[in-house]
Amino acid sequence: MNPKFPVLTGFGSVTPYGPLTGLITAPAPQPRPITAWTTPGLRRAFLVEPFRPAEIVPGVKTRRLDRLSGWALVAASLALRDAGIDLNQVDRSRVAVLFATGFGCVELTEAFFQSAATNGWAGTDPITFPETLGNAPAAHVALFHQLRGPNLTISSKSFAAESAMLQAASLLRHGQADMAIVLAGDTLTQAVYEWYEAAHRLAPACFNHDPVSSAAGFIPGEGVVAMVLEKPGRELSRPYAALGPGCWAAGGDVRANVLQLLDGVRPDFTFCAGNGAPCAATPVTCSARAIVGEDTAIFPAQPIAAGMGEASALFHLLLALSKRPGPGQALLLGTSANGGFAALRMEIQ
Amino acid sequence: MIDASKTIVVTAIGVVSPYGAGLAALQDGMLAGRCCLASGAELYPGFHGSVAQVLDLPPLLDGHHYSRTDRLATLAARDAVGSLMGSNLLRQSGIVMASTVAGLSEIDPEIARDPAEWYRHGGLSRAASYSVSRVAAAVGEQLGIQGPACTVSVACASGAMAIALAANMLLDDAAPMVLAGGSDALCPFTLSGFNSLQALDPELCRPFDQNRKGLNIGEGAALLALETLEHATRRGAPVLAVLRGWAMNNDASHPTAPHKEGAGLAACIGNALEMAACGVDEVGYVNAHGTGTPLNDIAETHAYENAFANRSTPIPVSSTKSYFGHCLGAAGALEAAITILAMRYGALFPTLRLSEPIESARVDWLKDAVRRVPLPLAMSVSAGFGGSNAALVFGEMQP
Repeated sequence: MNPKFPVLTGFGSVTPYGPLTGLITAPAPQPRPITAWTTPGLRRAFLVEPFRPAEIVPGVKTRRLDRLSGWALVAASLALRDAGIDLNQVDRSRVAVLFATGFGCVELTEAFFQSAATNGWAGTDPITFPETLGNAPAAHVALFHQLRGPNLTISSKSFAAESAMLQAASLLRHGQADMAIVLAGDTLTQAVYEWYEAAHRLAPACFNHDPVSSAAGFIPGEGVVAMVLEKPGRELSRPYAALGPGCWAAGGDVRANVLQLLDGVRPDFTFCAGNGAPCAATPVTCSARAIVGEDTAIFPAQPIAAGMGEASALFHLLLALSKRPGPGQALLLGTSANGGFAALRMEIQ
Repeated sequence: MIDASKTIVVTAIGVVSPYGAGLAALQDGMLAGRCCLASGAELYPGFHGSVAQVLDLPPLLDGHHYSRTDRLATLAARDAVGSLMGSNLLRQSGIVMASTVAGLSEIDPEIARDPAEWYRHGGLSRAASYSVSRVAAAVGEQLGIQGPACTVSVACASGAMAIALAANMLLDDAAPMVLAGGSDALCPFTLSGFNSLQALDPELCRPFDQNRKGLNIGEGAALLALETLEHATRRGAPVLAVLRGWAMNNDASHPTAPHKEGAGLAACIGNALEMAACGVDEVGYVNAHGTGTPLNDIAETHAYENAFANRSTPIPVSSTKSYFGHCLGAAGALEAAITILAMRYGALFPTLRLSEPIESARVDWLKDAVRRVPLPLAMSVSAGFGGSNAALVFGEMQP
């Protein structure tokens, strides 16, 4: 392993698989009917089953928080547990938290709008307002674990998770932190789901009980995935992977940029972090094949993660690593419909 | 001997503030001591506070819906890049924006009653501008920027953090130039939220005054063009300031209130000064976060007392939020621009309406009039809900 690359030492997740530590070995769940609000017929999505966070992470209090904040607290705690980190042995002023999200705390934002719709803007709920801020999940992670390093919430059209991973690696590289918890996720609400529907973005499988197919559109999902990224060298660490250089851009020549990033390295594996359907013909899979050739094993984007939009890459990465691809060079590649891309080199252990 | 490939410099600044478009309007207004705060009663029934608005904001005419935050950001970005529009350099550049409001200003409370119905009646395109990522994307699309783009949302520390992240990206060679800054529009959601928390001063805010009652909200946008000194020299760009140091951290003490002793902010200031490799006596001015809330200003005062404890003279501090309110996600970027202005013109802007400052032997509260002094090194400090802090150290370009 390149001794200069930061290492990925732990995963925690709250997803439609449930709250989990480490890799995911369970079979993929199916989309479930939405019951949280009244729908005009069958509507399905990849939903997180309700659970009690305090049963997973003793001491955690989530009653007044957006679900996104609660899931972030649980996922971060499970990732630290997976990495075998005792925070009492760590300088907490050197631990960063980076949270990638597309919509932030949209659940309580809708609740705040509801209070405005009912009572007028002069009668809104003061308890709810601070929890609507996009950085609330990362702030709660810092507060619960007393992490006093840089605390950032990042959103990037199509590539929020990749952007957060790259920014975290940058903080480590420049000595601004020794460890980073990188999280990515979103919640699904009525307003979000109905926007997708009104914009004709949903796959047919959202409206019937058919198996998930490769048809156009996607099935919305929700959840938070967390990973621990740290400087190499800690004893007892058993890294999943080392994070090499990466890049992301809103446009330009994807192939030329990725080949420049690879710098002659031929990846053994390419993990697709796409936001399309899971078939082999999705744009990102085609891009990957065109860039890295026929000899690499391509892990297509997974439908269960695809519905998390710009925060989905971390979930895709977790699902790909959960298939235990074996040691080798890997490329995490995402592309967007408007010509953007994100690419990260990795060394898989 | 400085390493030009690792020295980050500011080569352009673009601003849209309640004074109007452009840095010159901001500079002239502030030098004249003009306050832009005025009644915001028209923003929603029952609101009685003061706000600072950008008037006559032009639309972006390409058939898409842009939020007011997007429009502020794009106008400021155009102001920053000037003659670089259409250039290869701009196309390859990156963009890091900051915002907390983003497209919230475009959403009507009716969305909460029946989203599908609201979308059918014009809300669909308005809601498409909701995500904070849209701010950086909108600027990128309008300016033809194809490099890395993201938006940071870390409450009121966002703007300064965008600049810090951009600096890191340049050290990583992620782009030849990065536009970094923040943008936020006035909107009923945030006004209502702060009002519900009783954080707003019903009159004009008085940062660092013993009789302060809260903040006023403003709107605006500011972007800095950042590049390495090596790159700026090669293309003959003017260097407005050197970003000597930057730091970000978190109090981890309370979801909304700052640490009572300002411990996190003091540590953040110390980290930024350490990166800048300068002593506390070299700092000639701090542009403070200075919101005017009872909790923030006393905690911030303690932070300065601790961070500058070893200084030989009190540290000059002012809050320029007294001129045009708290611009939330844009505040850190606007205040970075003001800090650079202060350095370039040797003009320390006073805090307006500061008649009875918080007592502190270690802080030199700037009040009453602009102080004219040479200013080779200055800081801009930001903090926000969630405990986040950021500090930027700017220096003159040495010949």
